[in-house]
Amino acid sequence: MHLAIMNSRFPPEISNHQPLIRLRQVVKVYRTAAGDFPALKGLDLDVEAGEFLAITGKSGAGKTTLVNMITGTDALTSGVVEVGGVNIHQLDENRRALWRGRHLGVIYQSFHLLPNLTLLDNILLPMDFCGLYRRRASRERAMDLLRQMEMADHAHKLPSQISGGQQQRVAIARALANDPPLIVADEPTGRLDSVTAEVIFRIFQQLVAQGKTLVMVTHDRTIAGRVSRMLTIQDGEVLNQPAA
Amino acid sequence: MMRPRWHKALADLWSNKMRSLLVIVSIAIGLFAVGLISTTHAWLGLAMRDGYAAQNPANIIITAAGFPADFVDRIRNLPDVQEAEGVALVSLRVQTGQDTSTPIDIQAFPEMDEKQINQLTLLEGKYPPADREIVLDINKLEDTAARLGDTITVQLPSGRLREMKVVGIVRDMTIGAGGMGGGYFIASPQGYITFETLAWLEQPELLNQLHATVRSGDADLEHIQSVAGTLMDEFERNSLITISRAAMTSTAHPNNPYLESMLGLLVMLGFLVVFLSAFIITNTLSALLNQQIQQVGVMKTIGASRFQIRSIYMVLILVYSLAALGLALAFSDRAAYALLTFLSTRINFNLPAVQPVPRSILLQALIALIVPQVAGSLPILQGTRITIQQALSGTGSGNADRPSVVYRWLAKIRGLSRPMLISLRNTFRRRLRLVLTLVTLILGGAIFIGVFNVRTTIDHYMDRLGKYFIADVNLTLSEPHSIREMTAILKQVPGVVSVEGWAGARAELVEPDGSVGEAVILQAVPTDSTLIEPILTAGRWILPGDENAIVLNEMFNESLPGIAIGDTVRLRVNGEETEWVVVGFFQFAGKSGGLLAYTGFDHLSRLTSMTGRSMFYRIVTAEGMHTLEQQEELGAVLEAHLKRQGIEVSEITAGLSLNETTARGLDTLTTFLLFMALLMAAVGSMGLMGTMSLNVMERTREIGVMRAIGATDRHITRLVLVEGMLIGLISWVLACLASFPIGKMLSDVVSIAIFSMPIDFVFTATGVFIWLGLVTILSILASVLPARSAARLTIREVLAYE
Repeated sequence: MHLAIMNSRFPPEISNHQPLIRLRQVVKVYRTAAGDFPALKGLDLDVEAGEFLAITGKSGAGKTTLVNMITGTDALTSGVVEVGGVNIHQLDENRRALWRGRHLGVIYQSFHLLPNLTLLDNILLPMDFCGLYRRRASRERAMDLLRQMEMADHAHKLPSQISGGQQQRVAIARALANDPPLIVADEPTGRLDSVTAEVIFRIFQQLVAQGKTLVMVTHDRTIAGRVSRMLTIQDGEVLNQPAA
Repeated sequence: MMRPRWHKALADLWSNKMRSLLVIVSIAIGLFAVGLISTTHAWLGLAMRDGYAAQNPANIIITAAGFPADFVDRIRNLPDVQEAEGVALVSLRVQTGQDTSTPIDIQAFPEMDEKQINQLTLLEGKYPPADREIVLDINKLEDTAARLGDTITVQLPSGRLREMKVVGIVRDMTIGAGGMGGGYFIASPQGYITFETLAWLEQPELLNQLHATVRSGDADLEHIQSVAGTLMDEFERNSLITISRAAMTSTAHPNNPYLESMLGLLVMLGFLVVFLSAFIITNTLSALLNQQIQQVGVMKTIGASRFQIRSIYMVLILVYSLAALGLALAFSDRAAYALLTFLSTRINFNLPAVQPVPRSILLQALIALIVPQVAGSLPILQGTRITIQQALSGTGSGNADRPSVVYRWLAKIRGLSRPMLISLRNTFRRRLRLVLTLVTLILGGAIFIGVFNVRTTIDHYMDRLGKYFIADVNLTLSEPHSIREMTAILKQVPGVVSVEGWAGARAELVEPDGSVGEAVILQAVPTDSTLIEPILTAGRWILPGDENAIVLNEMFNESLPGIAIGDTVRLRVNGEETEWVVVGFFQFAGKSGGLLAYTGFDHLSRLTSMTGRSMFYRIVTAEGMHTLEQQEELGAVLEAHLKRQGIEVSEITAGLSLNETTARGLDTLTTFLLFMALLMAAVGSMGLMGTMSLNVMERTREIGVMRAIGATDRHITRLVLVEGMLIGLISWVLACLASFPIGKMLSDVVSIAIFSMPIDFVFTATGVFIWLGLVTILSILASVLPARSAARLTIREVLAYE
């Protein structure tokens, strides 16, 4: 499987001299009927460009909350999250959506492909929203991505017509649609069998090898030796930050 | 190449065809109702205004005792008169069976083929007829039991019979013009013959009605009335006795006021249907957005702004709207034409050559573009405002409701089975959706029930009006006879219990300047009469010993504003000017009754030199003879009996026949209203079906869990059916309550249209129970489909549902 080299859209000086992701004293408290629940308790984290960071921890430890803070899909209680030098939580919702569409790709455990759209349309959609490519170029690029994911033959199928592993490949292609430098994956192999999970993991490794930065939440601690760094979260705090 | 976001909009539409169909049909019904009404309105305007004017209707109609043909020429030569024609108007009877007959008004024209005013439209056969032939008007053709080519038998004053061939069927749009003949709905069948046929029918060859058009200002009623005054002066100058006069514009179809009010009501109902279909759109879209909440989250994640997401759903609504508009346009014109055809026979106009009405198309297009977008805006705004986290975790769709007050209250009721409790809880789970569904059903139901109340209210009022005509048989003789002798003769017929001789005269108001004004029907009753129970609104009724006391109907307030008890009214009775003291006011039939006044029999009979004699008799029959058929039967027996005594009968009518003819006119109105009520019911039940489908769709996972823990198909079906019926029943209770104000409002609109005043509102249980049956059936039907879909799902399917 060959992945094309994708250019970073972050300014070179930021990529070169600052961490790509910078979290400082990040606090997230969920207000529930049972009382306040602190999911992140003043977390600090730096992720360098080109890193493959794996985040592990038990259920409820705050892994997904941390990812949500990085992607800007949930609001901070306090602290700072900078991605590519941009304090993303200071952007309004529409700007943040556009920023996210252009600068990062998100991959979920349950794929979240739009069920009524073909696989091709699912990949075209982020390009349509962000307007980075002309229509003809979008289509060529989407087909190219599907080819890279070995899914081109299924381009006009609906998500329900393919397997979970295939859906996750399409979700990866969608995450790469606007050629973002950063990919965030929340338990991307959680619903897949071990063989398919391995295939997906290799794709991620290739992406990192080609210059992408990858942040992945996982329960699988056996991958420790295959990622740049593994971070363990427990009760909303970083337990350790060992280099891989 | 279409952009993927629009692919999504279309894919959403196509992926749930049932839901899409529901929304499209909901919008289409609203548009259809508006299109139908606005197109009908435009076409009716064309038919009733231009079509009527094309018949060159008379602006002035003056009925007189008689006038010569050269007098018509003199009128024609007056400077303000465009055209004038004389007509001989005679009333005869035509046999409709072995012993039955019906009155017929026959018009004879001196130059029938050159007739300019009140032109007739030939529908079948030929016009003009030859001598001794007759052409009949289509409107009351049924009453004569005749068809084209048949021979009708006309009873002559002498008792002889004449057979006349029906050679043509025409439409006379001027029937009821100026209130002549008691208005269109109670007018007798109309026939048209040559002037030369009159003598053969034992009628004098004498013109007694003048029709005239004005040279200019045929839309200016004041001017027409002033010309009518000039014409009346001309009659007076030539010592010709006039009986009545009427002035009207060239576009004032006699049934116009009735129709305008009816259409006003329909426009209101049409917009209500649009309003209700908007509720369905809101409900469906909020369900769609709820269902797609994760997709909204995903789209935001991959870079979509709120505006971009909103535009997808707005385009979806636009596609729904365009499909609905196409559907509505395809059917609304056809339905409007069918309605126009139906109305043409009921309210008497010629079907015009019609074209699509641009205004109506534009109106439908505007509503299609605006209303669904407005209705959908709230769910779209709410659905796209949600954060990605809420959307993806499913906490933003409102599924995590706390138990409602209603649910907590329901849970306290003992003896409720668990599945029943679930159904009850489900009913109140989506409160906004429940409210919108209920509002749709309640309005539909309230209007449905209201229509029955309107009918009952009018029937009730007609019954009250019937108290002015309590007699079972009304008899008019050709000439006056002694009341004492007549009473004795009539009582010889078995079944006759009592007889009263009444008196009547055509009179005219005398204006302060001495000119003759509007015609007044002056009735004189015995002061001890038991055959009239007036609805007095002020003052008192005629008492024994009263001389020139008079009781006036409500229409005098319009003709003589400010008139009060104790005032003096000047009337010209039989050419003599007389003074009357107003002692009371009574309520009658508004506009359709014209000016009507009652006085004492003795005084009027003295005034008309008819003391002890009368032409008008009111006959009361024994118990058990009060049906229309029995009254008609007795009428025939009485006629035969009087004929044997050598007494000539001019007219004999059953007491209940007035009610029957009026009811026929009102049927058109109630049919119309019922049609709209059914449309509302259809929208309401569609709303319920939508709600039930959405409720089931949203609870697919819950249903799966229930099946996994042992619920059978029957349990699931029953859960959904109970919920649907519960909504139906709640709506029924509230619709019953809402039907009071809505029914009252409808009743006021209708009664003002017919009687020019609001009448006492009467509530009937009929509509309530019919709606209960209907809403139960509709609820079951609306729930069966969703219930079946729910029961058909396998556990694996439902638990895998997203």
